[in-house]
Amino acid sequence: MSSYEQLRQGLSAPICLTWEVTYACNLACVHCLSSSGRRAPDELTTAEARSLIDEWAAMQVFYINVGGGEPLTRPDFFQLMEYAIERRVGVKFSTNGTLLDRAAARWVASTDYVDVQVSLDGVSAKVNDPIRGRGSFQRAWRAMELLAAEGVPFKVNHVVTRHSLADLDRLYERVTGMGGQLRVTRLRPSGRGRLVWAALRLTQAQNRELYHWLRAHPDVLTGDSFFHLSALGTPLDGLNLCGAGRIVCCVDPRGDVYACPFVLAPEFRAGNVREQSFASIWSRSPLFLRLRRTEVGGSCSGCEAYGRCHGGCMAVKHFTGAPLDGPDPECVFAPDGRPGPEQLPISPRPIRPVFVR
Amino acid sequence: MRPSDRIRLDPGIALRPERFGALAYSYRDRQLLFIDRSLLPFVGSDGERPVGEIANELVGRGLLEAESVPRLMAVLEGLRRKGVVHVVV
Ligand code: SF4
Ligand code: SF4
Repeated sequence: MSSYEQLRQGLSAPICLTWEVTYACNLACVHCLSSSGRRAPDELTTAEARSLIDEWAAMQVFYINVGGGEPLTRPDFFQLMEYAIERRVGVKFSTNGTLLDRAAARWVASTDYVDVQVSLDGVSAKVNDPIRGRGSFQRAWRAMELLAAEGVPFKVNHVVTRHSLADLDRLYERVTGMGGQLRVTRLRPSGRGRLVWAALRLTQAQNRELYHWLRAHPDVLTGDSFFHLSALGTPLDGLNLCGAGRIVCCVDPRGDVYACPFVLAPEFRAGNVREQSFASIWSRSPLFLRLRRTEVGGSCSGCEAYGRCHGGCMAVKHFTGAPLDGPDPECVFAPDGRPGPEQLPISPRPIRPVFVR
Repeated sequence: MRPSDRIRLDPGIALRPERFGALAYSYRDRQLLFIDRSLLPFVGSDGERPVGEIANELVGRGLLEAESVPRLMAVLEGLRRKGVVHVVV
């Protein structure tokens, strides 16, 4: 059986487990996948979070992708991360960078099994700040400098948009020049992203341009963002299937388990860790069992590119109202949609002060 | 790889049992590897017995075809070059 089949049918534990540790965030990015801002009143306590980590360690989850909200707003952040690492659950955490100080950079540098990724959605404040908030570019850049000064091989996550694609070369040069690694990811209509999807998504011509750019830059990471573009030719590196509920899942700050971080919607909720063990949700939830049996069929079944594209991203289909067993709305063979509005329908608020101990 | 070699998993690698065998994750270079079921008795042997002896026993118990032993040894050699397993000295 091919490794694609093995992955499609699911594993004993997730490979990529995203743990959104809080909905609190001092930014309010217009495309936030988890619509974060305020802390939810019933977020997992430190003790609950620890027993979740114990369970992951017992299942041999190799590492967790920690996000939010802004993880650094959780007062027990470092404590929980150390708890995970001691149990050999590696940590990759994602931050907006605004709260990352020298002490945090030193902590990353001196701790094995910790990787950090700073979000940056443009090579300049002019492109970044309308999306992430005024002042956010400068503060994220400062975080990158702090990490670089400590010799940390950090990553920069860039959600590529209609307005930022033209700057990819410059961004790549600046990030790699600092010793960082660029990760380019897809804008999806998830969370608040739904409101800006039409205005910020790439045009079909830009998607083709991006495909060739990524082919020419194999050291740029993409996760599972662009396998739908592999329909254009040689497959891109990275995961080439939708892993939702198969090799990927997401635990939200309240302990709800979703198929992936981009589908925080009731239809994709498999259970809650306060009611059931994580392991039983992973191995027995009807939703996940169904996703592992699913093959995208529909109008994709006759497509010659199906073996490379597998019908694209379930989240994008779901939130655009497209059938889940049909092609991705950005299928490379689809005609260009109507151009979206040029003005963003909502705007980020300025950075809120947060007191972190 | 010689039949007399004893091998051990690199300490920076975690092995997790799966339907098809195991997944190996390297904390050093953050790489993920699929390990086929047929390799597990070797990769998981913890340097206790020579690989040739393990292979003979599996062949004797009808769990492994004698013809596939050379190919298996080549795969183990590949894993050694990747730093997944080490020959115990
Ligand atoms: S739904 Fe989309 S974002 Fe989620 S795992 Fe599938 S491809 Fe990835
Ligand atoms: S028709 Fe389906 S499989 Fe073919 S390229 Fe489009 S989304 Fe991919």
